Amino acid sequence: MEETIWEHVQDFFEGAVFVYGTTLLVVYALLAIMSLIAITRFKRREKNIDDEKMLGSPIAPGISVIAPAFNEGLTIIGNVRSLLTLNYPHFEIIIVNDGSSDDTLEQMIVEFELVKVDFAFSARIKTQPVRGVYKSTNSAYSKLLVIDKVNGKSKADAVNAAINIATFNYFLCTDVDCILEKNTLLKLIKPVMSEEKKRVIATGATLRMVNSCDVDEGVITRVRPPRQILPRFQEMEYLRAFVLGKMGWSWINCVPNVSGGLGLFDKEVAIKAGGYDHKSFGEDMELMTRMVRYAYDNKIDYAIRYIPITLCWTEGPSTVKIFMRQRTRWSRGLSQLMFAHIKMLFNPRYGRMGLIVFPYNFFFELLAPIIEFLGVIYYIVLICLGMINWHFAILLLIFVYTYSIMISTTAILWDQITFRYYKSWKEVASLCVMPFYEMILYHPMIMVFALRGYYYFLTGKKHTWGNMQRKGFNTTAAKMATANNNNTQAVK
Amino acid sequence: MLLLEAFFAPFFRRYFYYFDSYPLVIQIAIFLTVVAIVSTVIAYASILYRRYRGSRHDKKIARINPLLDEILTESIILNDDLAEGKPVEEIPLPLEKFDRPRFKTPFARQAIIERLIHYRKNFSGDIGLLLRKLYIELGLEKESFGKLKSFKWDRKVKSLIELTAMDMSIADVNILPLTNSKNRELRAEARHAYIKLSKNEPFKFFDVVSEPLLMWDQLELFKIITTTKDISIPNFARWVTYSSNKSVVAFCLKLIVHYNQQEAVPSIIKLLDNKDHYLRSNAINALGKLKADEAEDKLVQIYSSQPLDCQLEILKAIGRMGTGKNLTFLRQEFLRSSDFDIRKNAAKSIISHKQHSEEMLGELLDTATAENKLILKHCMNPLIKY
Repeated sequence: MEETIWEHVQDFFEGAVFVYGTTLLVVYALLAIMSLIAITRFKRREKNIDDEKMLGSPIAPGISVIAPAFNEGLTIIGNVRSLLTLNYPHFEIIIVNDGSSDDTLEQMIVEFELVKVDFAFSARIKTQPVRGVYKSTNSAYSKLLVIDKVNGKSKADAVNAAINIATFNYFLCTDVDCILEKNTLLKLIKPVMSEEKKRVIATGATLRMVNSCDVDEGVITRVRPPRQILPRFQEMEYLRAFVLGKMGWSWINCVPNVSGGLGLFDKEVAIKAGGYDHKSFGEDMELMTRMVRYAYDNKIDYAIRYIPITLCWTEGPSTVKIFMRQRTRWSRGLSQLMFAHIKMLFNPRYGRMGLIVFPYNFFFELLAPIIEFLGVIYYIVLICLGMINWHFAILLLIFVYTYSIMISTTAILWDQITFRYYKSWKEVASLCVMPFYEMILYHPMIMVFALRGYYYFLTGKKHTWGNMQRKGFNTTAAKMATANNNNTQAVK
Repeated sequence: MLLLEAFFAPFFRRYFYYFDSYPLVIQIAIFLTVVAIVSTVIAYASILYRRYRGSRHDKKIARINPLLDEILTESIILNDDLAEGKPVEEIPLPLEKFDRPRFKTPFARQAIIERLIHYRKNFSGDIGLLLRKLYIELGLEKESFGKLKSFKWDRKVKSLIELTAMDMSIADVNILPLTNSKNRELRAEARHAYIKLSKNEPFKFFDVVSEPLLMWDQLELFKIITTTKDISIPNFARWVTYSSNKSVVAFCLKLIVHYNQQEAVPSIIKLLDNKDHYLRSNAINALGKLKADEAEDKLVQIYSSQPLDCQLEILKAIGRMGTGKNLTFLRQEFLRSSDFDIRKNAAKSIISHKQHSEEMLGELLDTATAENKLILKHCMNPLIKY
């Protein structure tokens, strides 16, 4: 029987989607197995070892903690105090006031007794001009250094300015409103110092939502999954991405990205790779790609490592509007990255990066929303034409649904194996129900926001890094923040 | 596929009447759906079980520890004989208090070991010795030694930690091979144990070490060496001169600096001719920190042929020595170099010469370019440490 062109297209699309879907499912299953191996090894290694006794060592390498701040006046003091509670023998904290239009800098000057100092540095990465460098006259804050610079319209520019000024050979990049576990520096430098043959150019750890956690003086005192639905979805998604995904990739040294919320980097490689790209919307992934590229070009036997424990708590967007803005930016960053480094795709010169990480990102991160969207359209067309076999379609949908629940539940189990962060089983259960709703509520949102990001990338729409309108952790500060936000919006 | 055909197909045939007529893709999808459902249920069960086991463990510990605390406080910490100054060996211990079924399970015995270790970390002197005596008299050391014979490396590590905490001696023949184990954690713990427990030659393993001392190993060893009491500290120059292991040499340089072993200076000076620039820069750093001014002229002499990391260390070393002999050299580097780090370190070293460099500093501040002046002000500011 002679087939029409439409039937050929139909056959091709269905075949391609089948291969695509099967590969993705196999990759997830492999990641689950590899991450379990990596987590089990990590647990066995750490079981009997008390790292805290290393805290007094005078030979520990120094680390510069970098946290950029833009219009964070409502929470900046608490945030800086939280960073000052870090426990490590040799570190400095660099806060970059990226041309805030509020009183972020003034508050820090008063609270931490800062004075402007003549500070000489070599600007190895080009940034917007630095207006001044501040140090505290109070020895209690001797580790603190504040940079005031002209706004660079991106986090990347702010971090680059801090990298230029940073003293030590390693820098930890975080967001000023993230809460770090007190031994974060020790935990992240350990994989660097324990590597036998490779040069570890970056390390990272799991991030979680701070939204419903108890925080006292910038320190987490009780971990809870978020009470609100949207941040709770994000908590589950983060666990899947970090504990299952990145741990699995770490096991085969194929980590695609070290999160911008928490990552420790080799400063020399980061500078030689050119620092963060201030034009990128996914600056963390972009830097990682260039660092890896630099390592391959210069024959550096590198490694990027992840650890499964949670060291950083960040506030997840709790409204759809802010969430949309965040995810649009991320997907725009991904498309920028793929476009800029397309030569690495399937390029054996870039080893695992070119043959595993990049193809994975290209097919299963970049193309996934597009293929999904086309799939939905195709489904609707078939329904309209009455060409759908409902029996099979429902069976396949049930399969995809149960498989996605299995993967997310596995991630929660792996997290429980790592550490029992939640106090009660009810809290774990509240997280375990999220995979059931993910496919219906959360996933479609992500797909639409990703497509929005691609559209902005293609049309070159202007976008600034802006304020995330955080609610803050401290109850009083949170109330003030909400009140002030409302007032500001009312004035506008 | 064989699995599907042999085991699962009959099951599906029973419940899905049309199973055999389905396309293969659908058959696989049905099979994997069942696998996913079963796996999810197993995952839930595992989560529940792990939480139950964890909370049961916590409850058991919460029950046993107060009892142990009571016994240990009464019998060891507030021991009357100890207060009267009776020698530890002659003090009878109330072993009958541990002669209860509750303390005889493997879990309880492990809990006792851990509690004893916890107390020993907090109490030294005679109380520490009495805790050790209790550990031995309860026969707990046999359990720790038993773990050392295990095939599992993590049990061996646990054993070494327990024996080290309780200051139990281990025969060289048992522990020395472990210091070169392929497993990093076991190797590291064996080295720690060897240093802590070997009374005569705690650093003997430096002679036999074949694997490199990783940075983390060095951090741990440094902490242990510098905090262990009654340890006989050798002249580390011995390994600086003879060891073929680069990491051992670098580590010994750090120890030489820590213990201010001036007698090691000639051996370190010899390292300046080493081909490895990593070792050279470590040696220069050590010479600076030891204020070994006899090496100053040689450092200036080799300066121009060194890579950047060594040059920076030379500038820092001259500053630390602070003799004033090479101020002109520092001035020249500060004014002529195009490298920022060289200028900054030269400036720092000029400033650290204090009264020797006052006049030169004044002159430089008057005549330097704006950028160099900024570097000088930066280095002179006491608020800026680096």
